[in-house]
Amino acid sequence: MLQAIDLVKRYGSVLALDGFSLSVAAGEIVGLVGHNGAGKTTFVEIVSYLIRQDGGHVTIDGRPPSASRGRVGVAPQHIALYPSVTVREHLNLFGRLAGLRRAALDSAVEELTVALRLGSFIDRRTAGLSGGQQRRVQAATALINRPGLLLLDEPTAGADLETREAMLDVVKQRAGDGAAIVYTTHYLPELVELQATIAVARNGKIIARGTYDELVDGLPGEVRLIHDNEEEVRVSTTQPAATLIDLLGRAERPISTIEVHNPSLDDLYRSLAVSDAP
Amino acid sequence: MLLETDYRPGPAAALRESLYRIRAMAGNNTLIRLRDPGQTISYVVMPMVLMLVLEPLYVRAVDGGTTKVVTGLLVMFSVFAISIAGNAILAERTWKTWDRLRVSRAPAAELLIGKTLPIYVVMIAQQTILLVYGCLVIGLPIPGNVPLVLGAILLWAFTLLAIGALLAAIVRSHGELSVITDVGALTLSSLGGALVPLSLMPEWAQVAAQASPGYWALEMLQAAVAGDTAGVLRPAAILLGIALVCGVFAIRRLTRGWGRGGLL
Ligand SMILES: Nc1ncnc2c1ncn2[C@@H]1O[C@H](COP(=O)(O)OP(=O)(O)OP(=O)(O)O)[C@@H](O)[C@H]1O
Ligand SMILES: [Mg+2]
Repeated sequence: MLQAIDLVKRYGSVLALDGFSLSVAAGEIVGLVGHNGAGKTTFVEIVSYLIRQDGGHVTIDGRPPSASRGRVGVAPQHIALYPSVTVREHLNLFGRLAGLRRAALDSAVEELTVALRLGSFIDRRTAGLSGGQQRRVQAATALINRPGLLLLDEPTAGADLETREAMLDVVKQRAGDGAAIVYTTHYLPELVELQATIAVARNGKIIARGTYDELVDGLPGEVRLIHDNEEEVRVSTTQPAATLIDLLGRAERPISTIEVHNPSLDDLYRSLAVSDAP
Repeated sequence: MLLETDYRPGPAAALRESLYRIRAMAGNNTLIRLRDPGQTISYVVMPMVLMLVLEPLYVRAVDGGTTKVVTGLLVMFSVFAISIAGNAILAERTWKTWDRLRVSRAPAAELLIGKTLPIYVVMIAQQTILLVYGCLVIGLPIPGNVPLVLGAILLWAFTLLAIGALLAAIVRSHGELSVITDVGALTLSSLGGALVPLSLMPEWAQVAAQASPGYWALEMLQAAVAGDTAGVLRPAAILLGIALVCGVFAIRRLTRGWGRGGLL
């Protein structure tokens, strides 16, 4: 569905993309992760034809982005809504711009209102909404016409549990319907829940791509114990459960805090940095 | 089920779809206008008050003082209205919504028409209200050739819209825009003879005035009000030229979007 090969994008001396290649199949969710400034948003902007690449090419269903207007649903990283316009009016605007009419529009609005839990503020202006509510509205405007390719740039940034759950449910459902989805995030657990393919961007290219099991499983997590005298023990381990039992068995003082961390995105980045080193 | 509409509509259907999208855009922008009408109201009320106050002065000072005070203040405050157009377009950048529209199915031309149509209507309404007020309250003789006056208003509003769009495309902030529109409007329109009749101004100013769109607007409107079709043509052609140059430049710039950087 989406194919990007060797994209290059320069901003003066900054190489925002430096041979960025990524493909996404219909029905696939690709979780695009990477440090701040890795080039995720730049990639999204090129695919949505907001900016032009300096090198490489992109096709969406065999067509260039210039010929794919309206086929791509984009939820940008930054909130981009009209402050004095209500949620329902937003959905109607973006639905109509996508060509939806009366009954089709109404049912699309209805569906997203339920799925993204917009009901309690649907007739309020967006200026007065909370950050998480605005996030959901923004996603809804990107989803309204059921595009075959979805680019969701940190759709859960600043989101609470409810927003996150609603968002993940909708994303899973759209992928189930056959949409190709690029989902950028800084939270690994979301990608586990989405069963997404993980693509790691660094310095303008994709340096690793695979499932959670392929990339993350087997990386060391961390077990942390704090004794009642504030003394702290941290152990990096690939087998947190066994390590925890072992540590508890050997503890000489009462323990006030136990923390077990599964491997995080940072652990993944670190492991890739190591395996990447010359 | 995904809507992957691959079908190509025939010309009639394509036009219908295009109009449907333009209507959606225009509707949204009308809403935004209506919910924030302050600027528009003050640009209608201020010249009304000024006309009332200045009219005796003009009548004593120059021939045809009533026509001059009405058209002069109309031109001046219609130039101020450039900032309505500029701010409306620039707001799309501040809100980051323009890029959202650019990824929609609607081509840039539709977005621009849908965006500017409501502003165009506001500008035409402003000028029409001021002229009608001029006739009913200030004592401007009712123009003999109403279509000519209407045509002049339509053209002048179009010129202002194009200038506003151009400014919105090139400035870096709302502050910058208001400096340019306020100072620029005052200078250009008073230099053009909108505040003080040109005949009372120093000679250099009378020559310099010709560089101001306000000057040509004034000439056009005064000729139109007097029913002088031949007198309307030259200023109209000059204004149309200015409008087209600004408009083309603005369209090219806005079609590309603003990108991320640059906004103060
Ligand atoms: N318009 C621009 N002008 C100059 N530099 C830019 C511009 N857009 C992006 N960059 C640079 O390109 C690089 C990639 O930025 P990008 O926004 O794509 O990163 P990102 O992976 O989305 O980061 P984040 O996780 O912080 O959102 C950064 O170094 C950024 O500073
Ligand atoms: Mg980003």
